[in-house]
Amino acid sequence: MIARRIARFFDERFGSNAAVRYFMVKVYPDHWSFYLGEFALYSFALLVATGIWLTFAYVPSANGAYASVIALSRATPVGYLVRQVHHWSAVVFVAAILIHMARIFFTGAFRKPRELNWIVGFTMLVLASLTGFTGYSLPNDALSGAGVRIADSVALSVPLVGRWAADVINGGGYPGPLLMSHFYTIHVYYLPIAIAGLLSLHLGMLVYQKHTQFERDPAHVVGRRFWPDYALRTLAAFAMSVAVVLVLASSIEINPIENYGPYHDWTILNPAAPDWYAAFLDGALRLGPSIEWTFFGHPLPAVFWPGVVLPTLTLALIGAWPWIDGHFTRDERAHDVLVPAASAPIRTGAGTALILAGFVLTLAASDDQQSRTFHLSVVWLVMIYRYAFVVVPLLGGWIAMTIAREIHLRRVDRGREPERRVIYRRNAQGGFDEEKAQSI
Amino acid sequence: MIRATLILALVFAGGAATEAARHASPAIVGWLGALTFAALAAACGLSAKRLHAPDDLTEPREPHGPSHLEPLPQDVLSRRGVFGRIWGLALGAVAILGVVPFVALARRPSPSGTAWFPGARLVTPDGKPVRVDELDLGGVTTVFPEGHVEAPLAATMIVKVEDGLPIAAPGREGWTPRGNIAYSKICTHAGCPIAIYRRASYQLYCPCHQSVFDVLRAGKPLSGPATRALPQLALDVDAHGYLIARGDYADHVGPDDWWSTI
Repeated sequence: MIARRIARFFDERFGSNAAVRYFMVKVYPDHWSFYLGEFALYSFALLVATGIWLTFAYVPSANGAYASVIALSRATPVGYLVRQVHHWSAVVFVAAILIHMARIFFTGAFRKPRELNWIVGFTMLVLASLTGFTGYSLPNDALSGAGVRIADSVALSVPLVGRWAADVINGGGYPGPLLMSHFYTIHVYYLPIAIAGLLSLHLGMLVYQKHTQFERDPAHVVGRRFWPDYALRTLAAFAMSVAVVLVLASSIEINPIENYGPYHDWTILNPAAPDWYAAFLDGALRLGPSIEWTFFGHPLPAVFWPGVVLPTLTLALIGAWPWIDGHFTRDERAHDVLVPAASAPIRTGAGTALILAGFVLTLAASDDQQSRTFHLSVVWLVMIYRYAFVVVPLLGGWIAMTIAREIHLRRVDRGREPERRVIYRRNAQGGFDEEKAQSI
Repeated sequence: MIRATLILALVFAGGAATEAARHASPAIVGWLGALTFAALAAACGLSAKRLHAPDDLTEPREPHGPSHLEPLPQDVLSRRGVFGRIWGLALGAVAILGVVPFVALARRPSPSGTAWFPGARLVTPDGKPVRVDELDLGGVTTVFPEGHVEAPLAATMIVKVEDGLPIAAPGREGWTPRGNIAYSKICTHAGCPIAIYRRASYQLYCPCHQSVFDVLRAGKPLSGPATRALPQLALDVDAHGYLIARGDYADHVGPDDWWSTI
């Protein structure tokens, strides 16, 4: 009743009911894997909600940061809980983005016309990781402080501009007096606002271009209406993601900084390992060659290769994938129908290889602990991981590709998958024209 | 059923609020919160199920582009030259001005070198000076220059080895009074503190990336990603039997960058 009166109020002034109707009757394809992105969305909402609350308590200064976080945790159980929820939401946020991205990748949802949305989503992954890293560092505890120190040395390693960039972040040489307040501003304003902007763009493009689907009807969206079917489903997804994060936060303690103590540049924990989504970078630093070249007296530190070059190349590869994919499949058409992972064996193999490479590096980030458990020397483990970094992705990618191809062929045999035929026709010039396939 | 789950959600939420007000343990408050949202999720799911909505509704997809437009009206065409490429320079100017505030954030780092100076007593982090015979064999401690505890990059580690042990460090004779050897505690790889001394093999070990340095051979890296030796601090003993530094480190302390002189 009240809702109806509010709707009429706005409709008389803006004619808004037409837009509301448009969104209410809009049809969305339905599949469980389409909710992965929503888990990311809702954990971001939870991050913003808990994060704003945490700014009440946090003191962004080198001396005040650790004490303020400890005081918050001790003052009230809710303070401690909110901090745990915030950190766990960050973990779920990054994990959900990665899984969502894998779904997009393996089903070919990034293809034309959605390449830009891939770029936007991929940028959000990078920003989410950076937000996670700066937030993880804000308590200025012994563990995160070491991570910042490592990040600082990676920034320093960039030729020419490295020292300047590190000084901007530090507000002077390391550990700069303004480090915490700069991280605070970056973590609380720049990055979340950028993510929120990109998120709007992401969803805007999704609504405008319409969601992809598995049903093989390129001319229609096949699914359920937003109101009330999809609205209820997405509300359930929201409540579910909050419930999952709350269960994690109240059962498994994350980042117990009370046990770590405050940061000093002369103390450290052993073993020291970062949050899981940054672990592949730490693993790369451990495996990186111990080579320092000098150019006309200017050193190029060893951390430059695993710390700057490797992630930059990886990110460039991921960002450019829609175009690489389009180039190799010689495909310039727009697609709205998804491809099962098995029907694109090379793409599936490439994606598997990339995931395995990240997995090997992540494992390498705890080689010191494995050395203790398995009584192997770290030097040996580093050697093993260096080979594994090359062999495991190649082998795993090849196996995934072979399995995918086999599954696809069997599906074709059973008539469940259309056989892709390429038809050539002789043209007037005497050459051959490829006839455009009619299916997806 | 839906009504029951919603009532349950209310009960759980009320419970969470009560427990939080009573300063109960965070786990109890958190679990009650989780149950609230789980009940809400169940209510939404059950409602969605009850709708029995057809799942094969369709909506036509429009082609994604390109648009097919009439040619621009003549009046627009004739004046289009106003926005030539040269206006890209204006964007460049705005972009440069946008970067200026960030450039300004970079402060000149403190002059190269650390707070160590000739004659500086070695003090522990709580400010206690260290005597030459203070450490037991195989002992290790962190020191700073007196009056500069916690100064950046000044953190130093003294290791006590057998007096008279052959130390292969040409040009550094007499730097290690009574077997006290001092190295920078900041790893030359990525700046982590070298926190661990393996006394059996006279090695310093960095827990971040497992670089290992040789105490008896001028701090040279033995394994791991580090490429440069740990800078060694030349020690001496003052008239009262306390360890002092002969001066600042001769080598660059901490990780390298393009502009560091090594």
